[in-house]
Amino acid sequence: MSVATLRLTVPGHLRYRSVAVRFVAEACRLVSGARVFDDHTGAFEVNHPFDTAFVSAFMEIFNNVALHAYRGTGSGDIELVASVSSTALTVELRDAGVAFNIDAIPEPELDALPEGGMGIHIARTMLDEMKYLPGPPNVWRLTKRLTPATAPEVSQPA
Amino acid sequence: MSASFDVQTQHGQPTLLIRGSLDINSAPSLAERIDQLLATKPPRVVVDLSALDLIDSSGVAALVKLYKGIRAQGGQLEMKGTRDQPLAIFKLLRMDKVFGIV
Repeated sequence: MSVATLRLTVPGHLRYRSVAVRFVAEACRLVSGARVFDDHTGAFEVNHPFDTAFVSAFMEIFNNVALHAYRGTGSGDIELVASVSSTALTVELRDAGVAFNIDAIPEPELDALPEGGMGIHIARTMLDEMKYLPGPPNVWRLTKRLTPATAPEVSQPA
Repeated sequence: MSASFDVQTQHGQPTLLIRGSLDINSAPSLAERIDQLLATKPPRVVVDLSALDLIDSSGVAALVKLYKGIRAQGGQLEMKGTRDQPLAIFKLLRMDKVFGIV
């Protein structure tokens, strides 16, 4: 199985979040086959289940790195490495900021309608694997596999 | 990816339209609009999410704040038009039932 590797480095600031999200959405498209931009309007679209899950998770982890590792200062970069195959996507985020204690994050009490603390829960639930390796550099490794539930629909011959 | 917010009022009932990406960058602006909306003490608010493309936990938190604020005033909130990624997030957080999303 061939694996393509894509790389992007952005400043670790929320200002560059949308650039990183589009990069990951395009990497998702290479796995799922779904389009990311409307051909006619140019609008950004994430509606395939695989893309939806991965982008949702990635947005939360990018927020975490920008806000917690770099304390909102953008004082360092986030290196993104996407490994794309026909059946799975792995994205690594590497930062040189303050290490994060993922074990200290409690599960949110969803019945209480929380107004915070949902990000890691979203990411962990949307992915097949999520690993955090404190650094330097700190590494988040996010993986999702294309399953029948998230695979593109293939029309059957009559 | 940015968001825009509009409040349209018909027969005294406000409808909040949210377009684009409601996320950590845009949620603070929505929070200001929510404060303005809650100050009018509306008995019922409709939130139209049919043009909402993406949402993250910060965006969800802003909508939860709106829901709690209206409920605290004895009012009702209806969300409509939720689709794609935002719908998946609401379902994951079990907020689809709270928000009355079908």
